[in-house]
Amino acid sequence: MLGRRGTLPLLVGPPLVWLALLFVAPLILIVAFSLRPESGVVNAADPWNPSLVQYGKVLGTPAFLRLLGVSAVMALGIAVAATILAYPLAYFLAFRARTRATLFLALLLVPFAASYLLRIMAWKLVLGPAGAVNSLLSSAGLISEPLDLLLYSRGAVVITLVYVWIPFAALPILASLQRIERSQLEAAADLGAGPWTRFRRVTLPLSLPGTLAAFFMVFIPTIGEYVTPTLIGGTGGIMYGNLIQDFFGRAGNWPLGAALAMVMLILTVVGVLIALRAVDLRRVAP
Amino acid sequence: MPARNRIRTLFALSAATVLMLAACKGAEPQNLLVLEWSGYEAEDFWTDFKTANADAPVTFEFGISDADILAKMEAGSQADLFHFYSGWQQFYVDGGLVQEIDTSKLTNWDKVPDSFKEQGRVNGKQYFLPWDWGFSSILYNTDEVPEVTSWDALLNADYADHISMWNDGPAAVTVSSYIHGWDETAITADQLAQIEQEWIAQKPLNAFYWSGEYEDLCPAVQDGTVWVAYAWQGCYAAALYEGVPVAYADPAEGRNSWIGFYGISSKSDSYELALKFLDAKLADLTMSNVVNLFYYGAANQDVMNAIEDEVLIEAFGINDPSILENTNFTPPVTADQRSAWTEMWARVQAE
Repeated sequence: MLGRRGTLPLLVGPPLVWLALLFVAPLILIVAFSLRPESGVVNAADPWNPSLVQYGKVLGTPAFLRLLGVSAVMALGIAVAATILAYPLAYFLAFRARTRATLFLALLLVPFAASYLLRIMAWKLVLGPAGAVNSLLSSAGLISEPLDLLLYSRGAVVITLVYVWIPFAALPILASLQRIERSQLEAAADLGAGPWTRFRRVTLPLSLPGTLAAFFMVFIPTIGEYVTPTLIGGTGGIMYGNLIQDFFGRAGNWPLGAALAMVMLILTVVGVLIALRAVDLRRVAP
Repeated sequence: MPARNRIRTLFALSAATVLMLAACKGAEPQNLLVLEWSGYEAEDFWTDFKTANADAPVTFEFGISDADILAKMEAGSQADLFHFYSGWQQFYVDGGLVQEIDTSKLTNWDKVPDSFKEQGRVNGKQYFLPWDWGFSSILYNTDEVPEVTSWDALLNADYADHISMWNDGPAAVTVSSYIHGWDETAITADQLAQIEQEWIAQKPLNAFYWSGEYEDLCPAVQDGTVWVAYAWQGCYAAALYEGVPVAYADPAEGRNSWIGFYGISSKSDSYELALKFLDAKLADLTMSNVVNLFYYGAANQDVMNAIEDEVLIEAFGINDPSILENTNFTPPVTADQRSAWTEMWARVQAE
């Protein structure tokens, strides 16, 4: 039998190798590309003369930085909204659903059975000029012309992404709520705490790690999002991720795309670290 | 059998086996990898090859833009053949990425007009096989928009929220060049700055920038979201078939025209099979499918001459003998120009 010393590498080794091959190595490649001075199509085998030219272009273009700021604000709003809306769902599953919890959890996961693209395209049908929302408003006599702002706008991107992320955000919150000892809530009740006080003083603080995990699970991927803005964002809903995707794809300018990606990555990591420092989980987590 | 004979027989068999193995090693692989655009992998678009070479598997990898396809070839793609569009020929030749096509082995080569053949020739050699072609112009809804006579309809605020420009920097520069009467191969820094400002001002007029002709643009033209669009004639034909009231402009500045080419990778060791593939790509049934399913022009003139469908005749301007006189063919530009134009477009998008 393997001892404790032998088990650890066996458990940690495969995921570490996986991460090294599929995350660290590509990341190093991206860094290397971002330091290439050439614009346009570059052969990786060409001589590599490191330069900060691409970073100069990114940081010297106010429009790129503005869009990064806009994307960060959008991601923040979407993450906050998705987390707030996911919390009652998770709470219901943890404390109220009882024997039907498994059924409701399965229902919560049903959207994952459909492809992401399919769900986004469905929203296009719902929000479009001849879509369900416009038809409803029109038949109710509330509008005479279809509302254009429902589709191809920043609002459409926000609405759709909040919808997409709610089930994802609910899962870590649910996990943290399920870990709360019922005896702690009973003790609070015995000490005279009402339902709202019990929630505010016991449940919410104890579920904060899961809630924060949900927030970052939404915020981090959303800041680099490009599929949803491409499909339903229109020209006003373009996000920073669209620029990165464009430079790697259509424009074939990998060095500038890599520099844009690195700037976003660095700022996101710094932002997350600051946020985690501001919310000291050790003080609130059980 | 005496022992000596047995040894001789064994030796002969061994030698034959070695020779056979050597022959096999020297023989061309009987499979092809094609670097394509999504959609062209459908068997309809290589049906003649499939019929004639059922035992030669063809697999596809995909690019999403001309720059992406060139990047993949530069990065060492194993593709035997690649498909790209006007303006990129020189990059493949300069990069040593393509080998000359022996057109004497193409039975359908005579069906290709000389003007198309010429477009696939670089440094006097036929490196590229012209295959599909089309126009770029303004597609507009005739119920909402009066006759369009200039490319500047794309920048007309009267059609705010109902315009759709192609999400492509070089195309934006081309349109501006036409409007201003500039030579798009010699755009100065000042002109590019002016173009950037004009497209930034145009940005809010769009419902959206389209990326996929049939995925994004055509449905929006057909459901009335888009009234004025930069479009290829395929979307025009699709809208006509759907009974949508649309027209395809003949701008005073002229339409744009483009040609799609195939090249054989310089690294391909399936040259003969690649030639068969190219020849079959020009065959009548395959080319008819391009015309009838995608509404794109075919390099096979016999197929074009046989078109009787009124919508397609209209879409390709077949009854207009002057159509090509007033058409601007996409010129080659340098890598630096392309980079400057795509970076300009990124700034427009980011604003």
